[in-house]
Amino acid sequence: MSMDVISSIVLAAVRMAVPLLLIAMAELWSERAGMVNIGLEGLAAVGALAGFMLTFYTGNTWAGILAGAVAGILVNLIYAYATVSLCANHTVYGMAINLLAPALASFIYRVSFGTGGGLNQIELMKGVAIPVLKDIPFLGDLLFNQTPMVYLAFALVLFTNIYFRKTKSGLNFKSVGEHPKAAATLGINVIGIKYLSCVICGALAGIGGAYLTTCYSTTYTEGIVSGRGFIALAAVIFGRWNGTGVMGACLFFGLCDALQIRLQVSSLGVPYQFFQMIPYLATVVVLAIIGSKKAGPKANGLPYRKEER
Amino acid sequence: MEELMRMEHISKRFGNFYANKDVNLTVYRGEVLTLLGENGAGKSTLMNILIGLYQPTEGKIYLNGKEERIDSPGQAVKLGIGMVHQHFMLVEAQTVFDNIILGDKRSKGIFINRAARRKEILELSERYGLDVELDAKITEISVGAQQRVEILKALYHGAELLILDEPTAALTDIEVEGLFAIMNKLKSEGKSVIFISHKMREVLHISDRITILRAGEVITTVNCSETDGQKLANLMIGRELTKSQYEKKEVSGEPVVKLEDVRYNETNKHNGLAGVSMEIRPGEIVGIAGVDGNGQTQLAQLITGVIGPEKGHVHLAGSKVSTFDPFDFIESGVAHVPEDRNLQGLIGDMSIADNLVLKSTETDQFSHGKGLFLKKKDINSYAEELVQKYDIRCTSIDQAVRSLSGGNQQKVILAREIESEPDLLVVVHPTRGLDIGATRFVHDQMIAARERGVGILLISADFDEVLEMSDRILVIFEGQFMGEFSGKNPPIQEISLAMTGK
Repeated sequence: MSMDVISSIVLAAVRMAVPLLLIAMAELWSERAGMVNIGLEGLAAVGALAGFMLTFYTGNTWAGILAGAVAGILVNLIYAYATVSLCANHTVYGMAINLLAPALASFIYRVSFGTGGGLNQIELMKGVAIPVLKDIPFLGDLLFNQTPMVYLAFALVLFTNIYFRKTKSGLNFKSVGEHPKAAATLGINVIGIKYLSCVICGALAGIGGAYLTTCYSTTYTEGIVSGRGFIALAAVIFGRWNGTGVMGACLFFGLCDALQIRLQVSSLGVPYQFFQMIPYLATVVVLAIIGSKKAGPKANGLPYRKEER
Repeated sequence: MEELMRMEHISKRFGNFYANKDVNLTVYRGEVLTLLGENGAGKSTLMNILIGLYQPTEGKIYLNGKEERIDSPGQAVKLGIGMVHQHFMLVEAQTVFDNIILGDKRSKGIFINRAARRKEILELSERYGLDVELDAKITEISVGAQQRVEILKALYHGAELLILDEPTAALTDIEVEGLFAIMNKLKSEGKSVIFISHKMREVLHISDRITILRAGEVITTVNCSETDGQKLANLMIGRELTKSQYEKKEVSGEPVVKLEDVRYNETNKHNGLAGVSMEIRPGEIVGIAGVDGNGQTQLAQLITGVIGPEKGHVHLAGSKVSTFDPFDFIESGVAHVPEDRNLQGLIGDMSIADNLVLKSTETDQFSHGKGLFLKKKDINSYAEELVQKYDIRCTSIDQAVRSLSGGNQQKVILAREIESEPDLLVVVHPTRGLDIGATRFVHDQMIAARERGVGILLISADFDEVLEMSDRILVIFEGQFMGEFSGKNPPIQEISLAMTGK
């Protein structure tokens, strides 16, 4: 393979990995407080629509990104109330979000734009080249000539690592996912942190969705998230609930995605659907190999009741 | 003496059940006050109120003479109340250091000043003789060390009053001595300790004053120097309790179970059996003495069909067992009181009634058509009857088993197993974590079963229990029997030596 081909695959891998990374970080923050949220797919869907609509009406992609975050938070508060305050089952409510949110998004889209054929498009967010760094041969153009969202996503990984490893509040946050009662006996507001984690999760997953419409595809279509919410879940397990690990996992899945597109284009005779399966197959294989949940937060997915006998 | 904490007229109601009723309790500076009471007497509930986990239904709490409202655990920490829970509140995946500083309020800013915190913790640990490895993960240190971490954590967060909830339950004798040394050190530094226990010897050894709780109410408070074990026991259970003397028996007859040179996971000294032969006859109790983890677990699992031997044979009621399956063993009249009641014996979220009929849902007594439809009415009246007969203290038969105290959970299992009218009863650690009254009850039931001709295998880490109950005693060490002794006047010295492999 020529240098060009490799470079274009890597470039595509990074681009594919970013929405995945944002959504996976949403799950990481959620699970660190013991909240298993499988509703990512739904959160990203409403984020994608909100991002598209606000950008469409205002012409400002940043407004779109913000709208994605707000929409994600609002929808995820349903999940938060049910699971934290009512101690409902995490999986059931996550699934409920997955059923409700994408349908809601499509409904709003059709109400606003009709079902007719006309394709509504927006202008994508512009890339910002970082001076000096972008001139590094090969890597420069690859890594330092991207949209700000890409830089933000990777900065988020760094922030997450520092937050959970070095800060007081990060230690408190983590302990809520590990042993909420122990945290409570030391005066940590368990319920508050659980809600906070849901707000962060909603915001990040919503932004991940908004990225798809504002930085990637120019329009909203049904099923635009196409399973990324579930692959992100796998990425968190694959990445061992740690920022760097999750980033590695997302880059790996991004690479699978990039490869399949490249193979679709270059290979003749093989139905393209087979190539499309690659990222999903990789997810299944990875989970089968290291799918043990043991490494995760200990109280993950368990309800926290204050006066339990 | 200066008063540190006073509880006045504290009551706590769950539904229409009073866990505490009109409790008055005073703790002075620099003393060890023991809360003594049976399981379910309301000791833990009272302490959970003191540390703000529960809100009292009625009553007031005073600290240093000032009325305080303790509405959250954080508030209790602020007021200088720390508790070491029976089940430790430690984050296992994190280090000792991280556990101690959790909820840190001393570091200014958003980061943790690790060097400064470390210095403070080391100073504290030196002062109180609380030896811990700060950088080890909780999972890597012993139970005794975890307890020291808990105490250190409480002191680090400024505890003046330290509550220790059954701290000796999980400790070895040497670790208990260490804990008592720490408690004395705390006293000499002017801290107060509330000690919860029902081990009489320890209570008399360490306490200054003893407050006795029964059925949620304070019975009395006595000075330790003016009482003795017998008096305390009587106060605790509310009636005279004389030391039990069970008659020892020698029986002959066809063995109900016979093991011939059974081997399982032989190379493992701690979790294997290396050539074990024994038999149990109807109407006798065979006790297995030995330090925990010398193959007792495997022996019990084997005789109840949970695992099968790699070599050797097992005979049940004279016929050789070919397939090892718990169901077949139950059908052949083997009952099992397993070692961990929460893990194996009970389904915590199910009701008492459901747990009582778990093994017999397919009988005509409790269902139509072999378990197709349950006879709810019959099950309920059966459960009511057993709750009476076995003195299971509960609000109703529909109460979830998880919410019962340990002693009452054990009674549920015992009721189910004994009522199945077995030929062989395997009981493992039957009185672990139980108070005197409940222990006595369990023992009486076992003797009654023996009198009806049931063969009983008793496995227990409590040496006194094995001596008291067994008609014959077998000593197990590293998966092998080191000797057989008669239960009549057993040679204690010899048995103790055999337990260490000599």
